Amino acid sequence: MAYRWGMAVDLDKCTGCEACVTACHAENNIPTVSAQQAARGRAMHWIRVERYYEGDFPDVRVKFRPVLCQHCDNAPCEAVCPTYAAHHNEDGLNAQVYNRCIGTRYCANACSYNVRFFNFFNPEWPKPLHLQLNPDVSVREVGVMEKCTFCVQRIKAAKTAAKAEKRAIVDGVLQPACAQACPTTAIVFGDLNDPESRVARLARSPRGTKLLEDLGAEPKITYLSKQPWYESDAR
Amino acid sequence: MKGVYGLYADPHVAQQAVNNLRAAGVADADITVISSEPFEHFEFGHRDAKTAMPWIAAGAAGLGLVLTYYLLGASQRAWPLVTSGMPIAPNWTNLIIMFEMTMLSAIIATVLTLLVTAGIPSRGGKMYDPEVSDGYILVGVENPADASKLEPALAIDGGRVKKT
Amino acid sequence: MNRTLDKRTADDLVRPLFHTSVWFYAVVLAAGTVVACGAGAWGYQLWYGIGLSGKRWPTFWALYLTNFVFWIGISHAGTLISAILRLVNAGWRRPVTRCAEVITVFALMIGAMFPIIHLGRPWLAFWLFPYPSAREIWPNFRSPLAWDFFAINTYLTGSVLFLFLPMIPDFALVRDRSTGWRRKLYGTLAFGWRGTTKQWNRLEMAMQIMAIAILPVAVSVHTIVSFDFSMATVPMWHSTIFGPYFVAGAIFSGIAGLIIAMAALRKALHLEHYLLSLHFQNLGKLLLLMSILWGYFVFNERLTVWYGNEPSEMAVFWATQRGAYAPLYWTMVICNFVLPLAILTNPYTRTIVGCVVASFGVVIGMWLERFLIIVPSLTHKQLPYSWGTYTPTPVELFIMAATFAAMVLLYALFAKFVPIISIWELKAGETEKAHMVKLASAPSTQHQAAAQPDASLRAGASS
Repeated sequence: MAYRWGMAVDLDKCTGCEACVTACHAENNIPTVSAQQAARGRAMHWIRVERYYEGDFPDVRVKFRPVLCQHCDNAPCEAVCPTYAAHHNEDGLNAQVYNRCIGTRYCANACSYNVRFFNFFNPEWPKPLHLQLNPDVSVREVGVMEKCTFCVQRIKAAKTAAKAEKRAIVDGVLQPACAQACPTTAIVFGDLNDPESRVARLARSPRGTKLLEDLGAEPKITYLSKQPWYESDAR
Repeated sequence: MKGVYGLYADPHVAQQAVNNLRAAGVADADITVISSEPFEHFEFGHRDAKTAMPWIAAGAAGLGLVLTYYLLGASQRAWPLVTSGMPIAPNWTNLIIMFEMTMLSAIIATVLTLLVTAGIPSRGGKMYDPEVSDGYILVGVENPADASKLEPALAIDGGRVKKT
Repeated sequence: MNRTLDKRTADDLVRPLFHTSVWFYAVVLAAGTVVACGAGAWGYQLWYGIGLSGKRWPTFWALYLTNFVFWIGISHAGTLISAILRLVNAGWRRPVTRCAEVITVFALMIGAMFPIIHLGRPWLAFWLFPYPSAREIWPNFRSPLAWDFFAINTYLTGSVLFLFLPMIPDFALVRDRSTGWRRKLYGTLAFGWRGTTKQWNRLEMAMQIMAIAILPVAVSVHTIVSFDFSMATVPMWHSTIFGPYFVAGAIFSGIAGLIIAMAALRKALHLEHYLLSLHFQNLGKLLLLMSILWGYFVFNERLTVWYGNEPSEMAVFWATQRGAYAPLYWTMVICNFVLPLAILTNPYTRTIVGCVVASFGVVIGMWLERFLIIVPSLTHKQLPYSWGTYTPTPVELFIMAATFAAMVLLYALFAKFVPIISIWELKAGETEKAHMVKLASAPSTQHQAAAQPDASLRAGASS
């Protein structure tokens, strides 16, 4: 049976430390932008930790939610790309083919989660960051859209190894960079088609919700939270 | 090219000249009438009005529709990439492109038919007088069998006869 | 039919081709300079990257798309005037039709530049062309941008042909009156046209068919441009009203553009006897009608949003109504609705000057409308953490200014080389009017002599 990669993010465990953000940058050759460009909104964080405050002092509650590409089954970003740069692959991933992207940026507008990022300039890494580029990941030039790929390079490597050894991928061994870096194991990654995998069991959890579920995009990331997200729901 | 023609300022007189030519035994197809505007309300302006152009345009439109349908279906099925959970060759979206190509086919067929049937671009060598641009109507016969017989037919009050 | 009138008409309308005033050179120089600056700005952007524009996360479309929709909208003037009025046999369209069609063609050409200017990698824009590329993969025909490609190209092809074909008889007329290089140029452009009855009949039939064909294409073009927005689940974009709303807005801005162009031509080329107050009155009434229609659509859209009270849509709603975009929003309402209604409902203010003032307001208002559709929605999508702002940069503003200058430049050059009023159509209109007068008068011999306007001419001069 084909794989169906998904993720579960435990909001009760997330501390907002942003190790996932840093790891993602390192793994995927995400360009850094200058402070001036970041102030102009050009920073590219494939995974970002959204931080919301609720309530007034001293009853302030800070909520963290790591938001990354949800790899929607009904992704609004895929059909609008005129060159098939964004499409759905057999593993259920929302694939972004950098070579086909001509930079119309329609996909980014269509994405309700705002998880797509654009290379407004050619990428640069201030020394010595240029030494830690990942050789398994291509570098994108100006005018190309990019986003979280669930570390597809790691998925590909795991699939190749598994095929060579004539076995299935072991659950928990294959992890994207964010899941690997998370100190509280809040991020869990795996095959949703395997009912015994951790992610499939967490996806069935009563604590689980999906982000912007009513839009009908069918995201594959389940957010787990014992406390209701909205304070108003608590009463 | 030899020919004889008359230049008339008034379309009524031009109509008279055409009738005279017909009375003198010239076939309708041999009578050339040239003007700087279409005189649709006069009989001489109605000659050659029958055309299959609308049918050609409609036929081309139908052809464009069918060809586009098959082209879209074939190209989409050749590389069946799933996008947004839609069918590989959705009719709703293909209809839009089919519509545009239908209209484009009709327009291009119309223009091509016009160019062919109106004989443009032409390299010249046909009967013409630049005074037509000043508003005169030219009524004449190209390569007539007997030019001298036609001159009296064309020499009506209000017209000038010329020979080439 | 009246030879003196015909000759004077032809003289007046052909004179701008033979006599150049110093103003022509001034306009071309000024507009050309601005266009050159814009081209330089675009080259700068091509070299350094699209980041030189003000776009950012999450406002990925901004000024370039605004201009794209705006110019495609302006292009709907020609189709309305030329095609619709031709099909309903409205005689007053005759002097106006070529001015309108020229706006269509040039506005389309300018508008079609913007999808290329806004691309991240414009050197690969040819991938939008329907052909099997390296791995035999075609464009994604499910994407509204692919539909845009077909729609705009179809409309452009149709409009260019619709404009060019009736120019052929006029080129023949100019050919016959000119010498030297002009004779060669217009001789080539005239395609050897003579004006036989067969040629006239075929031309008229072709124009009729094309008028019928180009009307649905025009409606479809701006509908498809609206699909660029309504196909995305962005708050206040995902609205079913966008198709008709955009088409109505396009016709609205197109008429305004036409009025401005006609007023400018009337002054510059001394066409006071051809572009009459009647034409401006009629177009002014059409502008008024479209203004009311626009107001109707905006009311429809906003009422449903406000009544539904859906949180993500209301964020955008209040941003335009009371928030950061409120000054632009209310300016737009005044320019598009209040001003035209005030000026155009009163026959005393519906003069040529009044129509031009209202039209300028509408052009500004419709540009703002495009901007306010795109940017507030993108800056306020469903997740508040990702709300953003947008400020245009000099590069974008230069390119935008250059497109307006390009329109002026192209129009001035066109009016220099082609008679801006269709001479043969005008003459045919006069013949038709005389024919109607003859039909209306009693068919007796005494009246016939009086009804023939050129009876004195016929008896008198014979050359």
